[in-house]
Amino acid sequence: MRKHRTVEEEGLNLVPIMNLVTILIPFLLMSAQFVSLAVIDSTLPAITVEVTQEKEDPEEKLNLSILITPNGFTLTGADKVLPPDSETDGPRIPCLDAGCRSPESYDYHALTERLKKVKDRYESEENVIFVPDGGVPYEVLVLTMDAARDDQEDKDDQGKARTLFPYVVIAAGVQ
Amino acid sequence: MAKKKTVRRGGGNEELNITSMMDMMTIILVFLLKSYSAEDISVQGNDDLVLPVSTSLKPPKLAVNVIVSRAQVLVDGEPVLSLVEEADPTTGQPVIKVPEAAKRGAKIIELYDKLVAKAEQAKRLGERAGNDQFDFKGQVLLQCDKRLPFAVIREVMYTAGQAQFGEFRFVVIKGSG
Repeated sequence: MRKHRTVEEEGLNLVPIMNLVTILIPFLLMSAQFVSLAVIDSTLPAITVEVTQEKEDPEEKLNLSILITPNGFTLTGADKVLPPDSETDGPRIPCLDAGCRSPESYDYHALTERLKKVKDRYESEENVIFVPDGGVPYEVLVLTMDAARDDQEDKDDQGKARTLFPYVVIAAGVQ
Repeated sequence: MAKKKTVRRGGGNEELNITSMMDMMTIILVFLLKSYSAEDISVQGNDDLVLPVSTSLKPPKLAVNVIVSRAQVLVDGEPVLSLVEEADPTTGQPVIKVPEAAKRGAKIIELYDKLVAKAEQAKRLGERAGNDQFDFKGQVLLQCDKRLPFAVIREVMYTAGQAQFGEFRFVVIKGSG
C-alpha cells in the first residue's frame, strides 16, 4: 500500500489560490479604468486695468481671438490686423456643410492651416481667446481647442506635434 | 445500488479539474491589473454624461470636481441643481437650460453657495497644512457632456469665477483625434 501511495501523483491544491484570485478580481474590476482621461487647461479672462506702454514695447502683440458661431469660425486679432488670406475672403472659415448641423461639419483642418500662417508671423504668441456662441455644442469648443493647440500633421523626429497656441482663455461670448 | 455508489466515490479519487479555470482567472487578473487606475479622478459615464474626445495629453490632477450632465449639475458627487429642457423661442428646438428660478443674472445661486463653501474649506485646509502645495489655487475640474450648449457651461464657468475658481480643467477622453 505504501509503495502504491508514492507512485500515485497528487495534484496541486489550487483552491486557496482560486479563493485569492476570486477576491482580487472584483476589487480590480471596481478600480479598473477602461478609458484614459486628460485635461485641457483654460482660464477666464482677467479683469484688470492694463498698464502698457505700447510705444516703448518693441514686440507687437496679437491677442488672437477665435469666434465660434453657428456659421463657422471667425479669427480676429485685437491689436493687429491678421494677414489677408488669398484663398478666402476675410477671416471667416465657414462650415463644410451649410448650417453647421453637426460638430464634424466645422472645418477644423482649415482653422489649423490658417493658424499655422498666423504662428509663422507671430512666433512668440502662445495665447488664444475663444469666444463661443451660446448655442454651439461643447464638443465643438473642445475640437476647436485641439485644432488651435498643435498641428498633428507637422511632427518632429520624436513624434511631437508643432505647437501653435496652447494657452487658452475662454471669453463669455455674445448673447 | 447505494453501496455501489459509495465504492465508486471513495475509490475513484476524482476531483474537479480547476486548472483551466485557473488559466482563465490568471488572464483576467493580468488584464485587470493592467487597466488598474490610480488616477486622481474617475468618470462614471452614463447616457447623460458623454465626455468629448481630445488630442490633449495632459494628465488630470485633483481639484474640485464639477460635473455638468444633461440632467443635473454635481459638485464632488453631490447633486446641486437639475437642468431643464425647454423649446428655444427662435428655432423651436428643445434646448437644455439652467432654470431661470435658479439664477440671478448669469449666476447660479445654489452652485455659487456650494462652490464658495468648497473654496472656504480648501483655504482652511491650506492654512492648516502650512505647505504651498495645498494652498487654494482656485482650480476646478469640469466634466461636461459633449452635447450641451455652451450657454450652460458659460453660466457654470461664470458662477465658478464668482466663487473664486478661475482656472478650469476640462476633462476629456484621451484620443488620437
